[in-house]
Amino acid sequence: MPREVEPSQNEKQFFTKALSENIRIDGRGFDEFRELSLEFGDEHGVADVRLGKTRVLTHITAEVTSPFPDRPFDGLFTITTELSPMTSPSFEVNRPTETELLLSRMLEKTIRRSSALDTESLCLIAGQKVWSIRADVHVLSSDGNLTDAACISIIAALQHFRKPDTSTSGEGVTVYTLAEREPVPLSLLHHPLCVTFSFYPPPAEGNGEGEGEITLLDTTHLEESLRAGSVTISMNRHGEVCQIAKLGGVAVDAVTLLHCTSVALVKVKEISAFVAKRLEQESRRKDVDGKMKTLLSSENARIPG
Amino acid sequence: MAPSSTQQVLLSPAELSYLHTSLSLDPPVRPDARTSSQFRPLIAETDILPGTNGSARICFADGTEAIVGIKAEVEKSRPSYQASADRNVAEDDDDEEDEETRRDEQLAKEKKGLNEWVEMSVEIPSFRDDDSMPVFMAAMLSEALLADGAFTNKLWINRRFHWKLYLDILLLSQPLSYPLPLLSLTTHLALLSTRLPRLKSEEDEDPLFDDDWAASVFLYPRTQSLIRPPVTLLVMSVGNNIIFDPTKEELAVAESVLAVSVGERPQEKSQGDMDVDSGKPARDLRLLAIRTIDPPSRLTPAGVPNTLNTATGGTAAGTTEQASSKRETMEEEGVWQPPRGGAKRKLIAAMIQAVLARGGVAEEVLDGLDAVELG
Amino acid sequence: MPLDTSTYSLALLRLDGRRWNELRRLTAQISTQAAADGSSYLEMGNTKVICTVTGPAEGKRTGGAGTGGGNEAEVRVEIGIAGFSGVDRKRRGRNDKRISEMQTTISNTFASSLFTHLYPHSTININIHILSQDGSLLAACLNASTLALIDAGIPMRNYICACTAGSTSSHSANDEAADPLLDLNNLEEQELPFLTVATVGESDEVAVLVLETRVQMGRLEGMLAVGVDGCKQVREILDGVVRRRGKRILESAAV
Repeated sequence: MPREVEPSQNEKQFFTKALSENIRIDGRGFDEFRELSLEFGDEHGVADVRLGKTRVLTHITAEVTSPFPDRPFDGLFTITTELSPMTSPSFEVNRPTETELLLSRMLEKTIRRSSALDTESLCLIAGQKVWSIRADVHVLSSDGNLTDAACISIIAALQHFRKPDTSTSGEGVTVYTLAEREPVPLSLLHHPLCVTFSFYPPPAEGNGEGEGEITLLDTTHLEESLRAGSVTISMNRHGEVCQIAKLGGVAVDAVTLLHCTSVALVKVKEISAFVAKRLEQESRRKDVDGKMKTLLSSENARIPG
Repeated sequence: MAPSSTQQVLLSPAELSYLHTSLSLDPPVRPDARTSSQFRPLIAETDILPGTNGSARICFADGTEAIVGIKAEVEKSRPSYQASADRNVAEDDDDEEDEETRRDEQLAKEKKGLNEWVEMSVEIPSFRDDDSMPVFMAAMLSEALLADGAFTNKLWINRRFHWKLYLDILLLSQPLSYPLPLLSLTTHLALLSTRLPRLKSEEDEDPLFDDDWAASVFLYPRTQSLIRPPVTLLVMSVGNNIIFDPTKEELAVAESVLAVSVGERPQEKSQGDMDVDSGKPARDLRLLAIRTIDPPSRLTPAGVPNTLNTATGGTAAGTTEQASSKRETMEEEGVWQPPRGGAKRKLIAAMIQAVLARGGVAEEVLDGLDAVELG
Repeated sequence: MPLDTSTYSLALLRLDGRRWNELRRLTAQISTQAAADGSSYLEMGNTKVICTVTGPAEGKRTGGAGTGGGNEAEVRVEIGIAGFSGVDRKRRGRNDKRISEMQTTISNTFASSLFTHLYPHSTININIHILSQDGSLLAACLNASTLALIDAGIPMRNYICACTAGSTSSHSANDEAADPLLDLNNLEEQELPFLTVATVGESDEVAVLVLETRVQMGRLEGMLAVGVDGCKQVREILDGVVRRRGKRILESAAV
């Protein structure tokens, strides 16, 4: 298995020196995110998130299957993450690394276990037919902070996705094509997002203000490989914590962690607002497109007549 | 032949030769001064886990430790049982399906169990579940347990339901010596301590059980008849000496190793009465299974005799072929040669005899295990 | 089975008769196994865990793929959940993601709490067997590992002490006045929001914090405070176990 290249001694020293002078390598503030961009595909349920050089694409698909026998009223929702060798040479196909494992667990806990998607609404006929929603997360380029980017991309894709409309009559289910009926959005109960904080030991000299550890948000790959610990907090914009994961690493004061949650709330509100704005722009664009299409089709219909 | 443990003992050819020589003396001199049939002390306790139907833990003197937990669940018997109940049995029909039905009915009548009602799994740290070692261990242990065909009958509830018994055998330490006897003894104790809830329903009703754990019945009832689960013991030979409970160092020079599984025949009442006079009833032991184990000694490096060593004035053989042929023919005292070939039939017979004989080793072990207080 | 929490507000007693700030019975032994370099057995209520430590030793895999090749010892954790540990017999695959996450957590925690730089190019193996589970699984594993590592004599900065803390009403009840709870059992874990917290010794420094259930932000502070307080109690108990063991060794040496 190829190993990831560790940052050189020079890089390390430069980074820590800069940090002790309250400077990040790329000049951002400690709690500043990189530039976030969100694009939607032509299809419903495709969201492409860019956070600096990190790029994550999520594709949502739906199909009708039979439910698990022990949960006859619940639809299925699966999140699959794939880190391909394209992202980094240390990832291999069919051999999940620790990064991938933690990423998929984090998304699972944030989105699935906090029941962001109302799985009961996916039920068509109890015990027989349910919708199975599948989110495929593809990491196209990795430059740190995969978790946050992946989470934004899934939440945006879920909101953008439309599943075909259906009608039930007795034992039969009719699934209408997109042309027959307007597809319906998924029923999302809340929109959780992750914010990852990275901790760095306080600079050895200069005891003055830098007493506690330094906390950085939205770390790049280099910053991530040098951190001493991290915590990922998942929240929704109503101030509900869905998940906290501080899996070992350097010990941090409890008060600092509580402070992190309030910072996370601010960030989550910002990102939620951004996602909502982009979704609205997108739907407006679609609407314009849609209207144009109907206009065109009616013109065409008139020509032969 | 079952594979030997993967943990190699790092002993030099000289050390191996010394060990081998002292073990082939008459009587053998063992490194820990035991007699050839003496067992090392062990620590055993039962009923350690309240969440299981039966459990036991044993620590061997070398620090290896095992825990066995047994869980029983009620399971529906195969549907053919039900079908057979209300189907007219056509005696003269040669249909295969009917053949099976009839067999099942036969089973139901005799309250016979099936081997698939017992599931055994062995977990050894740093081994995967499908590695050969845990798989072989589980196979050998269940082979002994199911050998007499009477064990699964205990799991019969009625025509439609049976107990499914899950035996989870955990080795908690690294497998220092061949862990089969440890696992077997622990399983033995766990089975002895296994209790099933008392059945309240009758005949072929859906089973209903007594909630009171105090009223539960032992899988191996505590009655006069001495039916006990089987034990598997490891016996090794060096020369003509038969050595029991070998340590890993001793196994490293073993010429042959046998895993002998011993069970007890259910005793007839009259016989038991006769023996009562002599203090305690003699056990009627029988052999359930034998497996030869690949002795780890085969993989040890051979010593180089002085005649082949240039450093000690000998002449080294020209080619490797010459060297090996010279070694094959040479019988020099004090130079370690990994054992080759099999064991003599007479020797194997003697080994089995030593296990099974009245007052022999198996009896001693079973007596020892009986002395463990059952909770 | 839904947990009936309605009685709590009446008598302020939990289902098992504890008050909100009471730990379950926590007992532990160390040096339980002679073959391992360090070992421990720990019970937190009905959660029972055996932990053995081998090493620091030369890493088994010399392929160079492991991170143990560096200047610090690698901490490897293997958790086995026994088939008989739950209410129903269940066999878990070794590549269960939840278990892998627990392994990573324990490994990361001790990698920064042990003096791993003293043992370059070596591996410390922690083997954990879960014999019976009734909540607080991760916490029990962390506590047992701490004891086994102490028994193995591997220098560490401080005890890692862990426990769980929850809140008396479920998320949907949305009750801001809900009281925090200490050390949840399995039934309570199923119904109530809870977190696992591990601190470094008696300090307020949090090494591990895992929350997997939805909870209002306002309730988090109370839960965390109770959890950190619980960890201090756990530390006292673990310290007692180690001291008793030390005393016994001294006594046997004196004779």
